Amino acid sequence: MNSVQRFFRRYILSMIGIIFLFLGINIALFFAVMVIGSMSGSGTSLSVRDLSDGVVWQDGAWTADSAALSILRKNDAWAMLLDENGNVVWQQDLPEDLPRSYTSADIASFSRWYLDSYPVKIWAREDGSLMVAGLQPRTLVKFYYSLEWPYIEVMAGGIAAVFLCNLFLIIFLILRNTRKVEKALTPILQGIQDLSRGKPRHLEEQGELAEISRGLNRAADYMSRKDNTRAEWIRGVSHDIRTPLSIVLGYASELEENDVLPQEARKQAGIIRLESEKMKRLIDDLNLTTKLEYALQPVQVKNVDLAETGRLAAGEALNSGLPQQYEIAFSEARPGRSLPFSGDSSLLLRMLDNLIRNSVIHNPQGCRIILSAGEEDGYYLYTVSDDGIGLSPALLAALNQGQDISSTRNCGGKSEHGLGLKLVRQIVRAHQGKIQFSDTVPHGLTVKVFLPIKS
Amino acid sequence: MADYRILLADDDRGLLEMLLSIFRRAGYHDLLTASSGLEALRLWREEQPDLVVLDVMMPGMDGFSVLREIRRASRVPVLMLTARGEAEDRIEGLENGADDYLPKPFLPKELLLRAGAILSRAYPERKEQVALAGSTVDMANAEVWKNGERISLTAKELQLFEKLYENAGRIVTTGALCETICGEFWQGYETTLSTHIRHLREKIEENPSRPVSLVTVKGIGYRLNLKEAAS
Repeated sequence: MNSVQRFFRRYILSMIGIIFLFLGINIALFFAVMVIGSMSGSGTSLSVRDLSDGVVWQDGAWTADSAALSILRKNDAWAMLLDENGNVVWQQDLPEDLPRSYTSADIASFSRWYLDSYPVKIWAREDGSLMVAGLQPRTLVKFYYSLEWPYIEVMAGGIAAVFLCNLFLIIFLILRNTRKVEKALTPILQGIQDLSRGKPRHLEEQGELAEISRGLNRAADYMSRKDNTRAEWIRGVSHDIRTPLSIVLGYASELEENDVLPQEARKQAGIIRLESEKMKRLIDDLNLTTKLEYALQPVQVKNVDLAETGRLAAGEALNSGLPQQYEIAFSEARPGRSLPFSGDSSLLLRMLDNLIRNSVIHNPQGCRIILSAGEEDGYYLYTVSDDGIGLSPALLAALNQGQDISSTRNCGGKSEHGLGLKLVRQIVRAHQGKIQFSDTVPHGLTVKVFLPIKS
Repeated sequence: MADYRILLADDDRGLLEMLLSIFRRAGYHDLLTASSGLEALRLWREEQPDLVVLDVMMPGMDGFSVLREIRRASRVPVLMLTARGEAEDRIEGLENGADDYLPKPFLPKELLLRAGAILSRAYPERKEQVALAGSTVDMANAEVWKNGERISLTAKELQLFEKLYENAGRIVTTGALCETICGEFWQGYETTLSTHIRHLREKIEENPSRPVSLVTVKGIGYRLNLKEAAS
């Protein structure tokens, strides 16, 4: 899963989390409101039962004790006691406009609703009379529900269904919208990633984000143009230098081989020739590394026998007339057996040549260089090892960490253009291979190049 | 050295002078120079050279166009020189019928080696006799003279010898020698090659068990040493 997909997965999960958090908070708030509401009333609601207990028949008349009167006062309420015939037999603060006698129908009506506009509470006493307490209008709301049982069932199921439907609809819409955004953004994010890796690609300029795609395309074009300009510039300079360098090389070689000239002059011509050859390599390396860097030269894959490529590289190194202090040998893990590989033979040859030359340049005192070809752990393996002075542990570690160190040559030595190892690494990468640097025992440098057998 | 007429074409005067100098020192004396594509084409028509050394980038008519014109009427060997040094150039040159391709900058040795190889391939009848430490090889007649005795070379031995002679003094890999005989798919031919080499040695070496002319470079290939080098 790449980072873009990961981002959208996290986005979806966080959205679903937000929905559940939202629901949880709402339920909590609902209960909080309920509690606060219940606490915001008078605090001591009128208890008609307590009131009724305080009204008793005493000395031939109905009287209310002080507790009952206190309840009424506190609630700014009035009260009346109706006998079995509906006549008021006792009252306290009963408004004047209310009747003093009630029919059964009146009682049935106000017991549920209001007596005129007064909300009332009633209590049926054991002695058969009815205590009625009335509150001031707009102090109590009375509801009366009467629902049939099947309706209640449908209601309860319906509410649950509506709730779940809403939940699923919200999740579905979030997923759908996220998918749409993902579809629109993925190519753009991928384009940005590619751009950051130096591999610009053209995006389709359509939809609401066309402007962003257009901007990225402009950036990619600009980058490609810049790269091409740089590559063209390098190509142009190297092209212009090739003919003059051919003349320098040609005449220097002529002078070096001219028997008529004094020995010293021939030696100097030899130095000019040698330095010109280094310049030739520099130009070749520069061109090749630029092409590989900007992917201007696709690898020309053909069937290659890596053993023969190794022989060719060793042969070329010997043919190039290395000084006597260098010895080059080629060995095969299984002689006579070919190592078939799909790769670019000229690039592979160049890679081995650069590794051999690295050993040569690194060891001016001379060394024995062994190039070998074989197989190891599902890879073809080229090993270039020398018994020279080797490398410092720090430099070895840096090379193995993939740092682009151009040459293993120590600074302060003779001129070395320093593209050799960069080029080797580029060629190995172009063939999906890997490279390892290590010490040769007892001293020297060993470079192992692994190339995948199934390439 | 057989005297070949060589046409050298390059728009750079300095390089042309140097090419003249290189070929003269190597023993070629019948040399023509052209500093443009059109002039090269005119000289080729009028003088019928044995080899054309052609620069790719020339004003007016470039090297590829000249090559195409030449190839309409002739199979004269052509060696292309280019300052571009790109693989596409190489492919285009070879596709258009160039015999070889040499990117600038080049070493004089490299140029002479390639020119010599092209000439010996193109004009087998003019092949010279090659003097070795213990014998002389007459490539035109496919025979070896050793101690006053004439020994014939088989076709494969001659092919091998020609390849080694084209690269005299340089190592030729086992694969390259096998390819000379079998073509692209040479794998598995190495054992037969060593038999051919043994037979060739028996014919050209004074002491085949201690070869001095056709030497083995262990693990890599073989090298042919000419008389002055072998001694």
